[in-house]
Amino acid sequence: MITPSGNRVYGIAAEYPSAAALYEAAKVVRDAGFKRWDVHSPFPIHGMDDAMGLGKSWLSAVVLIGGITGLLTACVLEFGPSWYLYPLDVHGKPTNFWTVPAFFPIMFELTILCSAFSAFLAMLMMNLLPRWNHPMFNWDRFKRVTNDGFFLVLEARDPRFSENEAVQLLEKTGGQYITAIHEEA
Amino acid sequence: MSDRSHVLPAPEGEFFETNRFAGLSLICGAVGLIGLVLSFIGAFVSPVQFSFSWLFAFIFFFTLCIGCLFWTIVHHVVDAEWSVVVRRQLENIALLMPVLAVLFLPILLWRKYLYRWMDVPLGVDAGLDAKRAYLNWGFFLGRAIFFFVALSLVAWLMRSLSVRQDRDGNPRFTLMMRKLGFVGLPIFALCLTFGAFDWLMSLNWHWFSTMWGPYIFAGTAGSSMALLILVITALRRAGYLKEVVSIEHYHIMGKWLLAFTVFWAYIGFSQYMLYWYANIPEETQYFIIRNTESWNVLSWFLVIGRFFVPFALLLPRATKKSVTGICCLAGWILCMQLLDMYIIVLPALHGTGVHLSILDFPPLFAIGGTLAFFYLRIVGKTSLFPVRDPRLLESLRLTN
Repeated sequence: MITPSGNRVYGIAAEYPSAAALYEAAKVVRDAGFKRWDVHSPFPIHGMDDAMGLGKSWLSAVVLIGGITGLLTACVLEFGPSWYLYPLDVHGKPTNFWTVPAFFPIMFELTILCSAFSAFLAMLMMNLLPRWNHPMFNWDRFKRVTNDGFFLVLEARDPRFSENEAVQLLEKTGGQYITAIHEEA
Repeated sequence: MSDRSHVLPAPEGEFFETNRFAGLSLICGAVGLIGLVLSFIGAFVSPVQFSFSWLFAFIFFFTLCIGCLFWTIVHHVVDAEWSVVVRRQLENIALLMPVLAVLFLPILLWRKYLYRWMDVPLGVDAGLDAKRAYLNWGFFLGRAIFFFVALSLVAWLMRSLSVRQDRDGNPRFTLMMRKLGFVGLPIFALCLTFGAFDWLMSLNWHWFSTMWGPYIFAGTAGSSMALLILVITALRRAGYLKEVVSIEHYHIMGKWLLAFTVFWAYIGFSQYMLYWYANIPEETQYFIIRNTESWNVLSWFLVIGRFFVPFALLLPRATKKSVTGICCLAGWILCMQLLDMYIIVLPALHGTGVHLSILDFPPLFAIGGTLAFFYLRIVGKTSLFPVRDPRLLESLRLTN
């Protein structure tokens, strides 16, 4: 979608007076069948993922794989040298599997470390970060999003998107200051 | 903010019909009474075995009750919203503390069989003489009295403030309970830690562990959360709390089960590994008894059953969101807490291997039956949830 002045439109956005209003609006947009849309608020809103129909995030699967990778890395790095490659008698402790209590701390730490890193990196990827700018910042009112502004945006790339329908839907949900957001400033 | 947010409970709350469960109450009372009679017959047949079996049963139920007091306090201290609908049951179970104080009497009366240090004369054991300032009968008794008086007082104050709020909904009570929580939390920590030192660690006065308090606490918090899940489910099965407690509350309680499963393993392993690695006879004696002969089988079973099995099963969200699943695990964790206490207490008597005695069972029925009987008396006296708590609505609308 292109505006008369030649700008590409990112989406149609609206502001809501409260978290509760935004929550109710999200349920209406979800039920209208939109897929490419988002909400913005100064703080996380409990239950918003259900209201948006997001379903279960795949972050937990990534973290599980990261954690198992860390655990196996620790096992290989510890059992490899101490059991097979270079067994050393330390404090009279066994040089076979039964020296495992001494290895648990490393296994634990590497499991946590790799889980945390994979959670962090996957979170960045899921949020398409890092990025320099976002089209939403082309709207002056949006600056209040870190303070007391609650926003909902229907993106132009949604297959169901049409300007009239989007504006009507946002009006129906009680959205204020309905505005077309440009891709470029 | 869920779809259930329009459902509001009646302002007078929901009441447990004590008359409907008079039969159950009678059975519990009878089981408790028969258990008491059998225990005391055993006490005269084999006083040594009886004293250890009684301590084992007592400490199991003590950890459950004091754990419920902990959850009551901590939810006030951190101003938790989710727990409001289940809090009354925590308060009810914590109020059983005075009953436990009475059930502690056999330990005081049969103390000579349990705590051998009471009989060792001065000058025989230098290690014991160094600890006499702490390990002496007068101080031991004084501490025990302090533990039960302080814990009972906190439990009773917590519940009576909460019940008074049921009448007028005055938010001042919430603030008072929070302040009481700030006082109650250190009292709880001191009583549990030093109670664990006095009643469990001093079974072998040579041995010591600085992790002992946290270790007992980890089992306490996890197993009392398991008990809460079972109590809430039993009430729901009986037709109460249907509109009040939702699967979201089960989800959170399941997360706590998982958290304290991990915490138990973390503390238990930290305690074990340092002693295993340093390998000093004075420190390893506790584990040598429990990691040899038939005790070793039970120790392995505990490690697998208390950590690996519940950890793997509680990790997926689906288990925590299934009432059947979470109840099976809660029951399992209670069994593991029982086993944990068994492995702590009984090897002090049967150092050469597991020796399951017929006397191990009557004290469990005696204390369990008595506590259940008094719980059924208490539970009907007030609404099943704090009906005018200012945070009730947030708790009802819980999503996570």
